[in-house]
Amino acid sequence: MTVTAAPPADRPGVARRARLDWLFGPPALLFVAFLGVPLAALVWRAGNSGELGNNITSSLVLDSLRLSAITSTVTLLVAVMVGTPLAYLLARRDFPGKMIVDLLLDLPIVLPPTVAGVALLVALGRRGVIGQHLDAAGYDIAFTTAAVVLAQLFVSAPFYIRTAKAGFESIEPVYEGVASTLGASPLRTFVRVTLPLAWPSLVAGAILCWARALSELGATLIFAGNLRGDTQTMPLAIISAFESGASIDVPIAISVILVAAAAALLLLLRLVARGAAMRV
Amino acid sequence: MLRIDIDKRVGDFHLRPKFEAGNELVVLFGPSGCGKSMTLQAVAGLLRPDAGRIELPGGAVAFDAATRTDLPPQRRSVGYVVQELALFPHMTARQNIEFGIAGWPATRRRARAAHLVALLGLDGLEDRRPRQMSGGQQQRVALARALAAEPSLLLLDEPFSALEAPLRAMLRREVAAVRRRLDLTALFVTHDLGEAYALGDRIAVYDAGEVLQHGPRDDVLRRPRSRRVAELLEVRNIIPGAIDAYAEGVAVVRTPWFTARVRDPEAPVRGDVYVCIRPEHIIVERTDRSRRDGGNVVIDTEIVEEVPMGNTHRLYMRAQPADADLGEPYIFEVDMPAHPYEVLGIASRRDWRIGLTAEHLSLVPRA
Repeated sequence: MTVTAAPPADRPGVARRARLDWLFGPPALLFVAFLGVPLAALVWRAGNSGELGNNITSSLVLDSLRLSAITSTVTLLVAVMVGTPLAYLLARRDFPGKMIVDLLLDLPIVLPPTVAGVALLVALGRRGVIGQHLDAAGYDIAFTTAAVVLAQLFVSAPFYIRTAKAGFESIEPVYEGVASTLGASPLRTFVRVTLPLAWPSLVAGAILCWARALSELGATLIFAGNLRGDTQTMPLAIISAFESGASIDVPIAISVILVAAAAALLLLLRLVARGAAMRV
Repeated sequence: MLRIDIDKRVGDFHLRPKFEAGNELVVLFGPSGCGKSMTLQAVAGLLRPDAGRIELPGGAVAFDAATRTDLPPQRRSVGYVVQELALFPHMTARQNIEFGIAGWPATRRRARAAHLVALLGLDGLEDRRPRQMSGGQQQRVALARALAAEPSLLLLDEPFSALEAPLRAMLRREVAAVRRRLDLTALFVTHDLGEAYALGDRIAVYDAGEVLQHGPRDDVLRRPRSRRVAELLEVRNIIPGAIDAYAEGVAVVRTPWFTARVRDPEAPVRGDVYVCIRPEHIIVERTDRSRRDGGNVVIDTEIVEEVPMGNTHRLYMRAQPADADLGEPYIFEVDMPAHPYEVLGIASRRDWRIGLTAEHLSLVPRA
């Protein structure tokens, strides 16, 4: 038996850490409670109201749930289709203006989403830079379901692209080089070698992107408005439910759904990460 | 015939190798960073030369700056085993091996993979992922993968550097045997002289981006053509001298410590030279024995230091100049296997006579 087999308590490093527990434990616990209690209260209230089932199946909730599900999924698909090539090019190629593209991708992450909403409105609104021409051609984007998707895409796609880029960067180019010497065309190399190796990062990025799209509020409110059935996603429905002055049980029902969805997505993210760790 | 004559600048580094290879294993030997690996990348099509030409063994021109020819890697029919192996981690051994022959009909593909599995002793490992295999097994899979599509040229970039010595020796023999059986041209990069010696039919000695010398293994090892090549080949005894006389292919070389007759047809015929002899080619004999025939140079020396190196001993043996005015003593480096070392009782005395045989001496010019 080697030294490492000794019980942890015998090792001085572990013992010293245990003494720090008294110092670090209380503030840590306090913060965990700060995060946990409101969420627990939410779930507890939802369970106790006795109306949870009715509230969840109310038309306001169902409409927003359906719209959120559709728009966030479409957003995700567009983000993956457009973002994957961009992420790959950023990871593998040098091109003029690369730094500016990089910066552009970070901006939506740090900007308040309301700014994104204003920017989209100025560009694609009825009197916007591009929007006025679209309007003349008979297309309206602002305050439609398409606007919801665009607002979500603007703020959430960078999460996918960032993560995918890091995934592509982590693959040694030698794999692709060897694949090409084995007769694989660039496209086949990408599909058979690059994509599978980057897969965990792509999935993780997709989950982050989807979660961000699902919780999008500010940009949507400004660029798409809050029209029930057309642009009223779940986060917006919470606001409407409050403003209507009706029971607080409706916002609670929506919140519980969002918490459950977010928790499920995060759990999925952990599983993907663990799966990736086991593959190496 | 593989013909390489390329030019490539990367920053301050200037790669300009030029050599040829028939159906044989050519070792690219040289220190780290001298451009051996870059040469393989250029041949594989993963690095584009600035100028020059690469002709593949089948006669196909892979690269020619003059005609703007540059075949993409997938059309060069080159099997390339990189230093890090780069086995696809998400594929089994069989999927890795079959990657390059995915376009073949299924039955032929299976048969080819099965043949390679048998050839390289991978039976039973077909469904394992790379991480479930040992270093040696991964090495064999990488080799099988490179060979699958029946390339005309095999490139091996220090493929055994991560393995321990006994396994390296075994895989070296396997690579050499497989190459001979398939009658392939192969380039093998190494900075390990033992590996170069064990594997190479020919050796190309690299330094700072260029091939200083290339030729059949024994020629290169026995007859370095420059001081730098002699140093790189660990000749260790590089003795300054001057040619006294030259007649009928035999040079008489005088050094402060000895005078030798050297038959070296490609050697310089006049001027200052270095006399080169490898440490394992020096004979050690007792001083009280009668001298051997006149073909050998014999020098009385004294052991000043010795270093045990496992299965050999390195002896540092001091020779005095014939005339004290001629300068400093010279210290010969001599490698002696453990058995003669014990039989002769080297450790029992300090004075020994060394013999330099004519066929082991070579001359290089001294600027």
